[in-house]
Amino acid sequence: MSSLTQLLYTARDSLTAQSYGLNVTGQNITNVNTPGYVKRDPLLETRALGTATTGSVTVAGLSRATDIYIERRELSARGSAAAASEHDNQLASVEALFNDLGATGMGSALNNLFASFSGLATNPNDPTARSAVLSAAGAFADRSNAIAGSLSDTKNDLLKQAQATTEQINQKAASIAQLNRRILAAQAQGEDAADLKDQRNSLLLGLSELVDVRTIPDDKGSIIVQASGTSIVDGTDTRALSVDLAADGSLKINADNGSGGSTEVTQFLTGGKLAGIKETRDVDLFEVANRLDKLVFDVGNAVNAQHAAGFGQDGVSGRNLFDVGPTLSDAARTLRLGAAVAGNPAAVAAAGDVASLPGGSDNAVALANVFNTALPDGRTAAETYGDIVGDIGQRKSAVAQAVETQNAIKAQVQTMRESMSGVSLDEEMVSLTKYQRAYEAAGRVLSTVDQLMQTLINEIGK
Amino acid sequence: MRVTEGMRYSQVLANLANINTQHEEAAQEASTGVRVGKPSDDPIAAAQLARLSASSSQTKAQLSTIDTVRGDAELTESTLSDASDIFVRLKELALQGANGGLTAEDRSAMSVEVSGLKQALLSLSNTRGTRGYLYSGTDVSTPAFDSNGVFQGNDQTHVVAIGNSTPTAVSTSGSDAFVVAGGRNVFADLDSLATALASNDEAGIRGAVDTIDLSHNQLVNARAKAGLILSKLDASQTVLSSLDTQQQKTAQTAGAADPYEAYTRVTTLGQTLDRAIAVSKQILDLGSTNRF
Repeated sequence: MSSLTQLLYTARDSLTAQSYGLNVTGQNITNVNTPGYVKRDPLLETRALGTATTGSVTVAGLSRATDIYIERRELSARGSAAAASEHDNQLASVEALFNDLGATGMGSALNNLFASFSGLATNPNDPTARSAVLSAAGAFADRSNAIAGSLSDTKNDLLKQAQATTEQINQKAASIAQLNRRILAAQAQGEDAADLKDQRNSLLLGLSELVDVRTIPDDKGSIIVQASGTSIVDGTDTRALSVDLAADGSLKINADNGSGGSTEVTQFLTGGKLAGIKETRDVDLFEVANRLDKLVFDVGNAVNAQHAAGFGQDGVSGRNLFDVGPTLSDAARTLRLGAAVAGNPAAVAAAGDVASLPGGSDNAVALANVFNTALPDGRTAAETYGDIVGDIGQRKSAVAQAVETQNAIKAQVQTMRESMSGVSLDEEMVSLTKYQRAYEAAGRVLSTVDQLMQTLINEIGK
Repeated sequence: MRVTEGMRYSQVLANLANINTQHEEAAQEASTGVRVGKPSDDPIAAAQLARLSASSSQTKAQLSTIDTVRGDAELTESTLSDASDIFVRLKELALQGANGGLTAEDRSAMSVEVSGLKQALLSLSNTRGTRGYLYSGTDVSTPAFDSNGVFQGNDQTHVVAIGNSTPTAVSTSGSDAFVVAGGRNVFADLDSLATALASNDEAGIRGAVDTIDLSHNQLVNARAKAGLILSKLDASQTVLSSLDTQQQKTAQTAGAADPYEAYTRVTTLGQTLDRAIAVSKQILDLGSTNRF
């Protein structure tokens, strides 16, 4: 049978427990908009003191509403969405280089070049028509250089972005390892370390947008973080990622192997901004630049072959209209107006033979017809350029579709996680009322016991 | 399922962003009339438009070529017509000169007119067009004939790019028209008449009537050939103009927005956006702590 004094202790425990409940509810309300915050519930249980029944309450700690599988799915979904989004952003700048619909492509330069040959044929002896050919050829070379240069600059920028991204990854990994250490220490002292875990959660969410992330918790509160197939955080240890260039110029992702060396993990990279950068740089930019080089190389050589067959007004033949590099590689970036014709309109070979000078136009017509002649790949220059434009549009469109899909998946998983771990103000308002009322009731118990004891003391004293 | 504040905000944000994006795209399409503004809007149409742009550029270049060379072709036809007219007058003079009733003075006076007509013919044969001397072949910087009517040009043909691959000849050979080997040297025939008239040589004058006829026929034939060139240019222009129109229509079909559809879409999405904002307000009000 419990005494009044025991009841006092019970009321005290209740005040402590309800106060704790109010405290946790306050934490939830405070962090309703905090990324990575996991809703907390106070764990109250009956206080057991030996075999006696006291009906008292004690605070056993708090629980965090988490599910490792949903969290993993969210990390994965965020990584895929970030990769697609980065890929989409980067491709938008590539698409802009070939957007003839917005007057930024090289279609008009190509068309003007061949139109200038037609113009030359109408009046081969006209210096203006000859200058127009040089001007159009120069513009075509300039446009090729500009687009290829932009593609090359973008490749260099993406290398720097990849390096900056791995630095961010390494910083976050170091912070996670640091939090692992603090969580282990806190839990060793019997603390729940909820705030630290939430901070780690927030870092993981950020990390998942940079690289594909998978977490493996251990039973002591620490986690292993795997990225690009390697454990970048293992408890309190970290392994840094780094980026350099492979022999073929593609991005190479390395991970410290813990013994002073590194291991290539490129093939395991599947998500995050880093994957989007790599995909754009090493697949799209590589293929688009190659196709552009081939087009410019083939057009330059086809025009040169025909131009060299004709004669300038000085009776000289064998001159190239363009200086084209010896190989496909970098052909678009290095195309130049031929040194033998630059600044010398009379050298433009409009005539098909010396006898037809100065007004012969056979070769000018033949040059214009290069436009209608299949290049080595079996397609005309205009067809090939159209193919490139269509290909870039297709890539960008497919990636934009992927962004929508991945964002939808991410939103779905986030909804699941939010439903489980998020804060509902409705619930918290109910909890607030629940603990407030319980606190008030415990106060009444305390007040009642106080009155009873006062009555008892007064009666005894009479 | 638990519904949290985060879910409400995310849902509202996602919905509004989605509708706003669609509305922006629709407004862009409706206001510009352009459905394909960048390759990713419709990759197949973008590729088609790039190729079409090339074809259209080529068509326009060829139409421009026709416009440019037409002037010279018309001038050629016109000068040959004038030259032909000169020979009509020469034949009249030859027939008059062959009349036995004329005096030597009469014929001498006619000879002066014939010499004048020769100068006019020389001047016509050395007519300059936009690219140089019309009848010099491709040696356009050199007068076709010297003062004695000796051909100084060449027999090369001026060709231009019209059509897909075959070079089209657009010049008339001065040698064919005026001094063709195996044909008549119109200047020599004219000189013979002048000489016969000046020397009061009735037999020579009668003989010149026939040669003047032959020279006239030669010029008429040359004019007919020049006319054929003009006809060919006209025919090509008709075909290319039609092709140009068709290419523009195709480009419009491939890349332009349907104005009615675009306007309807932007209006519908505007209404959807208004409703979404109203619903969003209600959703956000659900989380208000004022209700407690």
